[in-house]
Amino acid sequence: MEAGKSSSDLELEVFSQDLCTSCGACVNICPYIKVVRDKVAVIEPCGLTEGKCYDFCPRTLTDIAALDKSVFGKTRTDFSLGPYISIEMAQAKDSEIRCRAQYGGVVSALMKYALDTGQIGSAVVTRPFDGAIMPASVLVEESLQSLGCAGSNYIASATLARMNEATKQGKDSIGLVGIPCQVIALRKMQSSKHETGARGVKLVIGLFCTWALSYKGFSEFLKGKVDLSQVKRIDIPPPPANVMVVETAAGDMRFSLDEVRKFIRPTCGVCYDMTSEFADISVGMVEGIQDWNTLIVRTPAGKKFIDKAKKAGVINTRPLEQTRLEHLKQASSTKKKRAVDAIRKRTNDKKNLLYLRLSAQEKKKFL
Amino acid sequence: MVTIELNQPGKTVLMMGDEAIARGAIEAGVDFCASYPGTPATEIPESLARVADRFNIYAEWSTNEIVAFEAATAASLAGLRALVAMKQNGVNVCSDFLMTVNLAGTNGGLVFVAADDPSAISSSNEQDSRSYARYADLPLLEPADFQEAKDMTKWAFEVSEKLGLPCILRSVTRLSHSRGNVKLGELPEKKRTAKFEGVYISGAFVAAQHAALHQKLEQAREDFEPSRFNFYVGPRKAKFVIVTCGSGWLYSREAVAALGLEGKVGILKIGTTWPLPEKFIIDHLKNVTEVFVVEEVDPFLEQNLKILLAEQAKTLGPIEVYGAKSGHRPPFGELNQDKVITALTSIKGLQARTRDEKYIEKAKEALTYIPPRMPTFCTGCPHRASLWAIKSALKLDGRDGFVTGDIGCYSIGAGPAGFFQLKTIHCMGAGIGLANGFGKLEKFGFNQPVIAVCGDSTFYHAAIPALINARVNNSNVLMVVLDNGGTAMTGFQPHPGSGCDALGRPAPTVEIENICKAIGVEVRVRDPFEISQAVQDIYDMLQENGPRVMVFRRRCFRIEAKEKLQKKYYVDQTKCIGDDCGCARFCSRVFNCPGIIWDQEAQRAKIDEMVCTGCGVCATLCPRGAIIVRGAAS
Repeated sequence: MEAGKSSSDLELEVFSQDLCTSCGACVNICPYIKVVRDKVAVIEPCGLTEGKCYDFCPRTLTDIAALDKSVFGKTRTDFSLGPYISIEMAQAKDSEIRCRAQYGGVVSALMKYALDTGQIGSAVVTRPFDGAIMPASVLVEESLQSLGCAGSNYIASATLARMNEATKQGKDSIGLVGIPCQVIALRKMQSSKHETGARGVKLVIGLFCTWALSYKGFSEFLKGKVDLSQVKRIDIPPPPANVMVVETAAGDMRFSLDEVRKFIRPTCGVCYDMTSEFADISVGMVEGIQDWNTLIVRTPAGKKFIDKAKKAGVINTRPLEQTRLEHLKQASSTKKKRAVDAIRKRTNDKKNLLYLRLSAQEKKKFL
Repeated sequence: MVTIELNQPGKTVLMMGDEAIARGAIEAGVDFCASYPGTPATEIPESLARVADRFNIYAEWSTNEIVAFEAATAASLAGLRALVAMKQNGVNVCSDFLMTVNLAGTNGGLVFVAADDPSAISSSNEQDSRSYARYADLPLLEPADFQEAKDMTKWAFEVSEKLGLPCILRSVTRLSHSRGNVKLGELPEKKRTAKFEGVYISGAFVAAQHAALHQKLEQAREDFEPSRFNFYVGPRKAKFVIVTCGSGWLYSREAVAALGLEGKVGILKIGTTWPLPEKFIIDHLKNVTEVFVVEEVDPFLEQNLKILLAEQAKTLGPIEVYGAKSGHRPPFGELNQDKVITALTSIKGLQARTRDEKYIEKAKEALTYIPPRMPTFCTGCPHRASLWAIKSALKLDGRDGFVTGDIGCYSIGAGPAGFFQLKTIHCMGAGIGLANGFGKLEKFGFNQPVIAVCGDSTFYHAAIPALINARVNNSNVLMVVLDNGGTAMTGFQPHPGSGCDALGRPAPTVEIENICKAIGVEVRVRDPFEISQAVQDIYDMLQENGPRVMVFRRRCFRIEAKEKLQKKYYVDQTKCIGDDCGCARFCSRVFNCPGIIWDQEAQRAKIDEMVCTGCGVCATLCPRGAIIVRGAAS
């Protein structure tokens, strides 16, 4: 790790370069960095030469092999999906949960189960539509269902800012649902030399993610077309549809994905992780199957938890066909290649990968 | 009992200059007083309001100076005696009416007090309002001490009544706000009733009216010749004479005494500085070869005197004039005896006066007693929270947005107290006026968001036309009204939103948000102490187009703390992390409320309970929750 970098460096290297993912890792750990909607900024330089904010950021030096070691105790052998123990398809057994969910309802079912059985004391999850199209990360300590946290949104919310707030209040034994950049930041926090409450996060469910939209751009695009306060669900049906469907009380609106893609955050273009490679468990959609999820179990803790959940009848599972697995690997590898290309385009230097540090083997595969 | 209402003619009392002016008005039997607060004039109407019931005076805080002046003029037109007082900037606000009421004329005595603030101790500009007298062809009186402040005010009503013109009385901060001995005069029996008669129109036969005005001014000149406020002290046949007026009189007298020049240098003190008592001056300059003009700020007397000397060259012969033009007195900044002494020393080729060594040492030591700090907001001031919220929102927005400032306590937000947020400051109302223009520059590639901040009193005073302009021209501007419930900077006088009048009696209110709604602009109201919500609101409003208004409403906390007991806070120094990452002394270094200090020994923050008002904002900002209410369970 490079030493001696501070909030000013973060501003220079990340914020001003449009690289911030709004994960929230740097928010609520000091009074100087704030988030509103999906916008994070250093309000005032703190004057220190070294800071947690810089170290925790998923877009400052991120050494994949070092993170592998700290999370899994060993480096990866699968370069497209990262370390994992098993991959299968899963869905929530509870049809009510499944009904509210975007796909198989696995995330909701697992978090509810973890909370109900006291395996975690609280959960940091995201309510996809908080009054309007902006999602909100929330801390829940009791029932999950009533909060309307199921479903997907395509705008990032600063989940780790909420987690920082929770750990400041002394919460430990937290479960967290996050997208890949948030999971990376969380793991950087947990393996950092600094004092942080992030070690109180005991269960990490990572979501698959291909990109997020900028709140400002996307909400301005929708304004006048859709009543933002009435949005209930946003979905991108599998190809070749090439559309985004915005469901509202007044009916569905369909937009060409080409139009929507204009609002993809620039930082998503340099993202190397589609499947939340550092989570305990990763969950995503299965292309072409509406009511099942892909479930990747990665850590021993994750395996233990899933085994219990299966035993408790929380989820159904079935094997993921080889062709689907290959397809998933293909998609993840494509994202990595694109990220590496985008980074090299930014730096205009084939060897300079900005924040990313890859092992020689990985470089060989993706450079 | 207030000193200014004492019914003891002949008794000498200590009075502030502004009180002396108020007493002079009372002795003249003033009936009507209207004003807008402004330093250093505020205590004149305030003093009159305090005794309004006793002397049957109508006193009001008007919405702005020109309304005050017009209202006071109405009283004059109805045959009453009226006074309007304001700071120099207010004179500018009045100027439109001033340049027509001079032609239309007045009836009952109308005294227009212009209180200038040399060195801009409490102002956004330095201005010598005396030029208005020459500009508007109106009589001008300049009191030189406290007694004259009272006596001249009384006389000013007579001057006004005789000429049918407003009479301008000019004070300066040093006179208005110092105290000196004043011998009281008789309190009059007042029996005036108001009745309007006649026609007062400026605009018909203007040139004829202007000619008549010049005649009135000539009348004033004649009346001023024998005035006891013009006098000479010093040796007969002095060759060197100081010509002075206003505050220059006492400085000159002290300088002459300090240099032991009483036998050589005369002082010609002029109280009626426009129009000049020409005969009186010529009489006293007959044997003089050198003149030093001592006055504060502009060379007003100096230039008028030079014209007179040129006209009288044949009679008076060549006279060397020292003053601002010659470089012996700076035509800016407050005057003092040292400046006069230095000038006299240089003109007369005297040995420079040296200070006593001990005095210099003591003075140096005294300087160390002054805490080294920039002007700051009071403890608990809502402006600190508001400007922090604005700074945060602008930073989050990230488009190099900026704030156009206005006149009020929040003006010091241009400095560290307000995190350097205000980038323009001019006159009252200029913040929103400028923002109007910035908000229309889109087609020239301008994409910076603009926030106009404006105080509540300023909103009523000067901001409404600009807001209407923003609405009809659809200017992209976010106006933030910093509503602390009164005209705080001048001592929390009521304004149209306060719900009470100048005498403290209940009055109807005009709500800022209702005005905004009537204009048709989006308006939100928020407590700036709810800082994160305030940041989000401002951020969201910055994303919108067209004119928008946010009212940050939170009563001045000094007033709040005076009226009811507030919570006591302390820093749990075991929780405070001081200089470490995660805080780096945010409260005492950045947010910088004077109620929080840095405990050098413990290297932790500490509440200064002597000055903390208990607003609690720092407790919400402390990243460690280390700032705690005393007595509360932690």
